[in-house]
Amino acid sequence: MKAELGGPQQVEVQTEKSPSSFSIMWRELVRDKLALGSLILLSIILLIVYGSSLILDKEEIVKVDLLSIYAPPSSEHWLGTDYGGRDIFGQLIIGARNSFTIGLAITLITGFIGLTVGLIAGYFGGVVDNIIMRIIDFILVLPFLMLVIVFVAIVPKYNVFTFILIMSAFLWTGKARLIRAKTLAERELDYVSASKTLGTPDWKIIVREILPNLSSIIIVNLTLNLAGNIGIESGLSYLGFGLPESTPSLGTLVSYAMNPDVLQNKWWVWLPASLLILVMMLCINFIGQALKRAADARQRLG
Amino acid sequence: MLKFILRRIVIMIPQLFLLSILVFLLAKAMPGDALTGRLANNPKMDAQTLAEMKEKLGLNDPPYVQYVRWIKNLMQGDLGISYIHQQPVTDLLSERIGNTLLLSACILILSYIIAIPLGIVSGRWTNSLADKLIVGYSYLSFATPLFIFALLMLFVFGFILGWFPTGGSVNIQVEKGTVDYYISKINHLILPSLSGALLSTVGTIQYLRNEIIDTKIKDFVKTARAKGVPESRIYSRHILRNSFLPIAAFLGYEITGLIGGSIFLESIFSYPGIGQLFLQSIMQRDYSVITALVMISGLATLLGTLLSDIILSAVDPRIRIE
Amino acid sequence: MAFLKVNHLKVYYPVRGGFFRRVIDYVRAVDDVSFELEQGETYGLVGESGCGKTTTGRTIIGLIKATAGEILLEGKDLTKLSRREFYHYRKDIQMIFQDPYSSLNPRKRVLDIIAEPLRNFEKLSPQEEKRKVQYFVEKVGLHPESIYKYPHEFSGGQRQRIGIARALTLNPKLIIADEPVSALDVSVQAQVLNFMKEIQKEFQLTYLFISHDLGIIRHMCDRIGIMYRGQFVEEGTSEEIFHDPQHIYTKRLISAIPNPNPQHRQEQVKLRQEIDKEYHNSYHQYFDAEGRVYPLKRISETHSVAIP
Repeated sequence: MKAELGGPQQVEVQTEKSPSSFSIMWRELVRDKLALGSLILLSIILLIVYGSSLILDKEEIVKVDLLSIYAPPSSEHWLGTDYGGRDIFGQLIIGARNSFTIGLAITLITGFIGLTVGLIAGYFGGVVDNIIMRIIDFILVLPFLMLVIVFVAIVPKYNVFTFILIMSAFLWTGKARLIRAKTLAERELDYVSASKTLGTPDWKIIVREILPNLSSIIIVNLTLNLAGNIGIESGLSYLGFGLPESTPSLGTLVSYAMNPDVLQNKWWVWLPASLLILVMMLCINFIGQALKRAADARQRLG
Repeated sequence: MLKFILRRIVIMIPQLFLLSILVFLLAKAMPGDALTGRLANNPKMDAQTLAEMKEKLGLNDPPYVQYVRWIKNLMQGDLGISYIHQQPVTDLLSERIGNTLLLSACILILSYIIAIPLGIVSGRWTNSLADKLIVGYSYLSFATPLFIFALLMLFVFGFILGWFPTGGSVNIQVEKGTVDYYISKINHLILPSLSGALLSTVGTIQYLRNEIIDTKIKDFVKTARAKGVPESRIYSRHILRNSFLPIAAFLGYEITGLIGGSIFLESIFSYPGIGQLFLQSIMQRDYSVITALVMISGLATLLGTLLSDIILSAVDPRIRIE
Repeated sequence: MAFLKVNHLKVYYPVRGGFFRRVIDYVRAVDDVSFELEQGETYGLVGESGCGKTTTGRTIIGLIKATAGEILLEGKDLTKLSRREFYHYRKDIQMIFQDPYSSLNPRKRVLDIIAEPLRNFEKLSPQEEKRKVQYFVEKVGLHPESIYKYPHEFSGGQRQRIGIARALTLNPKLIIADEPVSALDVSVQAQVLNFMKEIQKEFQLTYLFISHDLGIIRHMCDRIGIMYRGQFVEEGTSEEIFHDPQHIYTKRLISAIPNPNPQHRQEQVKLRQEIDKEYHNSYHQYFDAEGRVYPLKRISETHSVAIP
């Protein structure tokens, strides 16, 4: 996945002579104040989350302390404690780390599947395309949320990986459809015909010729999807059908608000997690929207 | 046109079949069957009665026979029996489905009431302050997850300000059929439907805005303007007329979102609809109810997409591909 | 033996209809076309848009599958070859595309664009590869340093030269030029055409030149085939076609060439009116009941016309 998106070295070489799509997008992103602010804020949040999750003592966080149940924020517990006397701030860090990591994992997996399927269907067309599109159409008309919940409820040996798998099984379709449509358009261009007449094998045409021309669309789509996936994951965890209890998510913290008493009187338990989800999703979305504008602008320039 | 509709329906048949197979397999994969339900109330059944019961219920038949029977029952409206509630699933659903339909309808209507004026303002006066605010709002609402937003709405308007009730679909102390009853019902609806509606406007706003911006510069609009047609009439006659039907047609595609949304909204606002019933059934492992709900939701989405596709193809013949 | 011999080539596309999307008819893009190319000559395919000339070219190079017929390159039938076998003949046939904008991948440097065929067929060290690419870049009249630039940094004419350089790298025998200058400014067209003539001599190339522009065809081609609705209408040397056209369709095409001299405008108009009259009067002599032309009939050693 990463190699396809172009390593840093490649970008450097390209910027020497002619601005690549990546550097154009980067320039647009930095010019957009809201997106730049979002990028900085998100980086800070992720730095704190991933940094402190290394330092934090997990045993300490999950330890039940019956003497300080629902303690309000204090110098000892920055964000107070929950019904088991566990530190909210620590849970927030771990939850944010889990939510982001899993959101990212789902994005990358669905991105990879969607890209592969979409490129193949779009490039080869014909029967392959027909079959793939029928499958995608079918998955898209399924009641996604309900089925995920049912799967989560009946899957034996439920863990993080099965969760990622279940989510990915549904979420690759939109991407595959998008990539297929773009590949279909790209395939008609003469540079693809040229490559064929020059003896370039099909797989090479797909990977080396077409894929780079889709990179900006892919980046935009993956970014917006990352936000969406974090939202879906935390939403499911809120309902109790997301991450298993061994891996708390931000949604798990929000779900304490199902208890009206907590919702009304103990804001420190659920509000920080809610706001953190909101802030992360907004940041990623703003970055994605700015990238989208940059990609559109790039396309206009040709 | 008729050919398109027929072909579209023909495409739906395998989807319907696949959906029923999927739901049937899910039902089989769930730990428990019609028998477990009866056992729950009668744990002291001996082995022989058990075997007899099993035979009687056809649980020893090969899977395809069971599938055919299940489909037959389904078509006759027999969705099985909920063993938690000890009543037919159909009765259970009919109690709840009204609430969910009401909520969904409110969300849709509110969403259009909010989105259409905003979309028009935004498209007509592009780059004005109002447009920027509206675009900002649509970005925000696109990025905000429903459950967080609904929770915050409940927290602020339900608990802190106390303007609206915080749960249920109606005040149970009010007598049914009175004016107070309906007022209470509406009062309970406002917060959940507003939460849903405010976040579901993005599509309509953006569609309308783009349509208006695109049509604004088309030649037929320029001609109308050159003829001296007043601006307001250009909008009502020439621009908006083309945009409204597709918006109405998107309705069918919204169904998936509405079903998903009702699960969150009903859970957060303790609103007794099928979303809440679904979650309860999952927790209580009331499988016949779950199966029925998944099947019905799948059917609803299938029909919704069918309807939207047909309306859209009637509006825009270019869509009538294949 | 002819260098390239196309025998009864047909390319049909199915038309589907009815409820079950059955094949109810075919679009006959290329309908029974035969012609030959001698080594070193330039053969022009002319016709209005949609007449099947581009399809013919693309079928010869293997971008489109032939429905029926033979394409013999030095006696070997290309339509019968498997993909793997065809690979070896790839080098011998190359193509210059119509649109210099879409035929160069915008994400690749000129170096990578021109080196693409080399990387497929020859194992060269980066230095050798660069040297070879620069050789061809200079050949087509571009600065050798420009190999590090991207296509969008060049003008249309320069881009077309890059496309030509790419087609030349494998030392092909046959080049199919599909409207190579129609996307270019008129001022640049002559430049590119003359340049194509130069390299033809230098590399001993055979051209299959596809165009709708008779002026260009006259300038470039030794022999010409006129196509109409997937079939040949007339075939002959440049001389024969332009000075002794036999088929009414050819006559109309040639009379439509604009005359740059305003003093002859009246004559030109008169000529066109005459031919138009002839066309209406003798339509059934040249076209059958379905509006299609008749099979070719040889009227001299080099000249064939589709008349009954």
